[in-house]
Amino acid sequence: MLRIKQFPRESIAAVVMAGVAACVIFAGPAHKQELTGRPEAAHLKPTGYPQLIATQPLPEMGGEICAVETASLQEPIAPRVSAAANRAPTRDADRSPLRIIHDTYPTYSAIGVDTNSNEIFLQDENLFGIKVFNRTDNTPPGAAFSEPKRILGGLLTKLEFNCGLYIDPKSGDIYSVNNDTVDRMTVFPRDAKGNMKAMRELHTPHRAYGVAVDEEAQELYLTIEHPPEVDVYRKTASGEDKPIRTLKGDKTRLADAHGIAIDPKNGWMFVSNHGSASSPTTKGGRFDPPSITVYPLKATGDTAPIRTIAGSKTQLNWPAHIFLDQNSGELYVANDAGDSILIFRETDNGDVAPARVLKGPQTGLKNPTSLFVDTRNNELLVSNMGNHSATVYPKTASGDVAPLRTIRSAPRGKLADMIGNPGAAAYDSKREEILVPN
Amino acid sequence: MAHPQIAVFARLAKENSQPTRVLAGQNTLLSRTMHDIRYDAVHDEIFVNNPFAQAILVFRGSAQGEEPPIRIIQGPNTRLEGQVDRLDVDPVHNEIYIPNHEKILVFPRDGNGDVAPIRIISGPDTQLNDVESVAVDPIHNVIVTAGARPPTAPGQTRSQADQVYGGALLIFNRTDSGNVKPIGVIQGPKTRIVRINQIQMQTTKGWIIATQPGKYEEQEPEGVFVGVWSINDRGDAPPRWFIGGPKSQIKKPRGVALNPKDKELIVADMRLNKVLTYYFPEIF
Repeated sequence: MLRIKQFPRESIAAVVMAGVAACVIFAGPAHKQELTGRPEAAHLKPTGYPQLIATQPLPEMGGEICAVETASLQEPIAPRVSAAANRAPTRDADRSPLRIIHDTYPTYSAIGVDTNSNEIFLQDENLFGIKVFNRTDNTPPGAAFSEPKRILGGLLTKLEFNCGLYIDPKSGDIYSVNNDTVDRMTVFPRDAKGNMKAMRELHTPHRAYGVAVDEEAQELYLTIEHPPEVDVYRKTASGEDKPIRTLKGDKTRLADAHGIAIDPKNGWMFVSNHGSASSPTTKGGRFDPPSITVYPLKATGDTAPIRTIAGSKTQLNWPAHIFLDQNSGELYVANDAGDSILIFRETDNGDVAPARVLKGPQTGLKNPTSLFVDTRNNELLVSNMGNHSATVYPKTASGDVAPLRTIRSAPRGKLADMIGNPGAAAYDSKREEILVPN
Repeated sequence: MAHPQIAVFARLAKENSQPTRVLAGQNTLLSRTMHDIRYDAVHDEIFVNNPFAQAILVFRGSAQGEEPPIRIIQGPNTRLEGQVDRLDVDPVHNEIYIPNHEKILVFPRDGNGDVAPIRIISGPDTQLNDVESVAVDPIHNVIVTAGARPPTAPGQTRSQADQVYGGALLIFNRTDSGNVKPIGVIQGPKTRIVRINQIQMQTTKGWIIATQPGKYEEQEPEGVFVGVWSINDRGDAPPRWFIGGPKSQIKKPRGVALNPKDKELIVADMRLNKVLTYYFPEIF
C-alpha cells in the first residue's frame, strides 16, 4: 500500500521557497531573448564554445564596490524588536542606473491639422510636447527622421500624458488635453513654441481623453475615461469653470470612454468605449464589448444611447479617437489594437461591418490612436503610436493602401515601446524579463 | 495615457530596445492605470489589476499578444469597490492581497469568477484610510500596506492634503482578519513619506522597499525617492537606504521590482516614461 506522508504547510512552503531561490541563484546563462536583442548576435553561429557577443564599459557606481553577499534562505532572520531599537541612520544610496529602458523618440497619441496654415500638429505622449510639421512634409525612406518646424514642450506648458488635440479651424488655437496627473486642458496660440505657459487652462476631471468642439454653439466636449462621462463646457472655459452639461450614469453604457465626435447638423454625439466599467450604484465591475455609443447632441444626465455600434462584425478593438466627416456622413475610428482605421456610416446601429477598412502591411498603420479628415484636401491623416509616425491617405482609401505621405520621427522600422505612465514593474525571474504595465 | 499594454523587456534591455513581447488588445481585458503587476515564479503566472472593471486578471507567465486571462476575479461577491488599484500575490500560502480603500481583501490565489474574500482586514482599529498599496512577506508572515493618507478636507486638493507627512506604512500579521490593530506603524516627518505607491518585500532580509512619487499634481515634485525600511522599524523611522539623488535620475518613481539573482532594483518612473535598473547589493 502506498503511504503518503503528510507534511505541515510551513514545511511545504519552505521547500517551495528554497526551490525558487535555488532556481534564481543557479539559473543558467543569459536567456536567448537577451542575445537576440543585440545586433552583434545576428552575425554569430553556434559553435558549441563560448563566444564574445559584445563588450560594454563597466557601469558607473558611486563609492566602493560592496562585498557580494549571497541571498539565501539560510541566513538568520532578524527577530522582531521594538521600535526604539530600529532608528538606524539613513544611508544615502544615490547611484547611477546600470541600464535605462527608454524610447528616445516621440510617440504620437493624437493629430490635428490647421488647413489654413497647412500645418500638422502631433501630440507626443512619450517626451511630452507638441511637434509641428508642414502638412505636405514627407520623410524620405533613407532619412533617419523628419525634424519638426516647431516644438512646444517643457514644464511651463504643463503638457504631460497629452492625448487629445483640437485645432481651432479659424484661429488655429491649439487645445491640448492631458490624460493624467496634471488634469488640465491647455490652450496655446497657433504659433506657440518652446517652453511657454498656456494662454488658457481648464482644470478637468481626472482621466480626460477625447475633445470635440461645436463651433456654432461655442461648446467644448470632453470625455473622461473613468468614471466614464462626457463633460460639456463653454468653449472659452478656464480655471475652475464647471461643465454646463454632464452625461453619465448606468443607462449611458459609457465604459472606459475614449474618443468623441459630434454632428451639430443632425444633433448627434458619438463616443468610443473600450469596455471596462463599474458603477457607483451597483456592486461588481463588468466588461462590455468595445462600442461606439450615440446620443442626442445635448444629452445630459443618465441618458441611454439612441444607437450602439458593437459586436464581432464591427472589428472594434480598443477604439481610440474618432472623427466625423459631416459632408459624407462617415464616422472614422482609430482602431488602436486592430492596427486599422474603420469607417462606419454615422447612422449605423448594432453589429454592423464597417463600410470601409484601412488595414494591412502597406498602410504603415501601427496602433493608430487618432485621426483627422481634411475635407479641403480630401485626405485622411493618422497618428500611429506604435511606430513614431503620422501617415496620410486619400480620404476614401480602403484596404491595404500605402500612404501618400509619411512623417516619421524615428528611423524606419523602429517600433515604439509605448511605455506610458508606468505605474508599476515586475521581474520575471524565470525568463529574466522586466514587465512594465501602462 | 492613450494606449494600455504590458510590455516585456529583456533584463539587459536599454535605450531603444524593443520589447520581447507585448500583451495588449481587447481580448486581454486590460485597461490603463495598471498601478501594480506581480509575477508568481512558483506557478509562472502574471497578476494585474483592471481598476475600472474592478477585476483581478491572471495570465500565463509567457502570455503575449491579444491573449485572454486564464482567470478573472470580479463580481459583487468579491466586495471590491471603487478603483481596484494594486495587489500582491503570496505563492507560498496561495493568496492574493488587495488594498481597497479602507480595507484589505484576501482571495485564494486560484480564485476565479465572483469569489468572496477569505479574509478582510477592516475597521477603525486598523488605521486603514485610503490604503493604496500592499505587499506580503510570506517568510516573516507580515503584510505591509501604504495607507493612512491624510484625508482631503472640503475644498482641499489632494496635493494640499499631502503637504503634511501623513502617509504611513502599516504592518499587519499575514493572517490578520477583521478589526485588528497593525503590529507596526512607520509614520512621521523623519520617514519623509508623503504617499507610497508600489511596494516590494525583500523577504530574506525583511526589507520593505517602497516608492514615493511625491505630491500628486506636481510634474516634478521634490522629495521623491525609493526608500528601504525594515519590517521591524516602528514610529518615525527614517528609511534605512534612500535612492533619490541626482545620480539616480529619478523624477517620479511609482513602480519597483527586485531581481535577487543579480542584486538589482528596478524602478518605473512615470515622469520619465523610463524603467531604470540599479545595482543594489546592500539589500540582498
